[in-house]
Amino acid sequence: MSQVKRIVIAAVCAALCIVLPMAFHSIPNAGATWLPMHIPVMISGLVAGPVAGAVTGILGPVLSGVLTGMPPAPMLPPMTCELLTYGLVSGLLARYVRTGRVTADLYISLVGAMVAGRVVNGVLRALIFSPGAYSLEAWVAASFATSLVGIVLQLAVVVPIVVSLERAGLVPPRYPEKSA
Amino acid sequence: MRAIGGYVWADSPLHRARPAAKLAGLLALVALVVLATTPLELALVAALVAALVGVSRVGWRAAGRAAWGLRWFLLAVLVMNALLFSAEDALWDLGPLHLTWAGLSQGARVVARTLLVVVLGTLLTATTRPQELVDGVRSALRPLARLGLPVEAAALAVGVTVQFVPTLLRESRQLMRAQTIRCGSVASHGIMQRVVSYVRLLVPIFVSALRRADELSVAMEARGYRISPGRPADRGEERE
Repeated sequence: MSQVKRIVIAAVCAALCIVLPMAFHSIPNAGATWLPMHIPVMISGLVAGPVAGAVTGILGPVLSGVLTGMPPAPMLPPMTCELLTYGLVSGLLARYVRTGRVTADLYISLVGAMVAGRVVNGVLRALIFSPGAYSLEAWVAASFATSLVGIVLQLAVVVPIVVSLERAGLVPPRYPEKSA
Repeated sequence: MRAIGGYVWADSPLHRARPAAKLAGLLALVALVVLATTPLELALVAALVAALVGVSRVGWRAAGRAAWGLRWFLLAVLVMNALLFSAEDALWDLGPLHLTWAGLSQGARVVARTLLVVVLGTLLTATTRPQELVDGVRSALRPLARLGLPVEAAALAVGVTVQFVPTLLRESRQLMRAQTIRCGSVASHGIMQRVVSYVRLLVPIFVSALRRADELSVAMEARGYRISPGRPADRGEERE
């Protein structure tokens, strides 16, 4: 995949980071529950690589914050770091995890990124953004309890979307020899 | 849903201002909004934003359209803050809910800040064409190029993102309406049904968006657009 295409995919996924929360915000507290901004970031990393994923992870929340006010400014730095990690780790894992099965590769990369992003978010909040005021219980509640529906949604949609994009010929297949 | 990202044709000092200056101004004003804590400070920033809307000639309706789209969300934020922020000196109690002046004040501050940031974002996109925005980002980031950062790629990414928001918003709306017609409102379903509905909705949204990305990148490459960080002369330029 060319560098121009990687950047354009990262940018389009960043645009979806702005568009999807608008749709989900019609449901009360949907941002924290359904995590709509996470989905394009992970897809960008999985299909276009770690740099594109990281770019989407930065541009999505920052431009959304500037253009729509969501996420609010105090939430922006930790959220940007979290999303950057999702994009970066999903891209790195997608590049290096090769089990021979597309779905297994994608699920391993997705779950790895989901865990890494939450760990980074928790560590940064505990050490930098809310030092002394952030506990393990608060991290578990915010990362796993409140966002349980979002986690289910991510596990349900991200891999089928990436497989659909491969089938539609919009991204190169992971195993061209099998597709041929 | 809100409509953002639309350029409004007009002739105003804001339309004529340099994109990099507008970007810097936007960031400075957002910082002011965040730092304003007292009602007086927020009122002063609001007056400044209102003056900018007047000067921009984009019209109050266009400037406030995105903020109007947020009305229910902001109302929910205000009510939740008013009822859940504190339990001290409650004006009214109902079980775990306590209506307090402190909560009302906190909710009003959050709503005011969000509205101001939304209007500022709308003003930027209403007075700046996407290509100008790309040029603005490129100019603003130029000093970072000396550190080896891919300024050209960053400018391209910002431009494409801003340009795609209205298009993807329109397409998402169409797909959501089509799904509502076929299956009823997603919001009225249970959790599992909602997940299934969102899978059915998100797959076509992403396929459509990535198809557009594919078309755009093919068109750019066909015109010789290349991003090479090596030589300044080649950076992000179309080849003759």
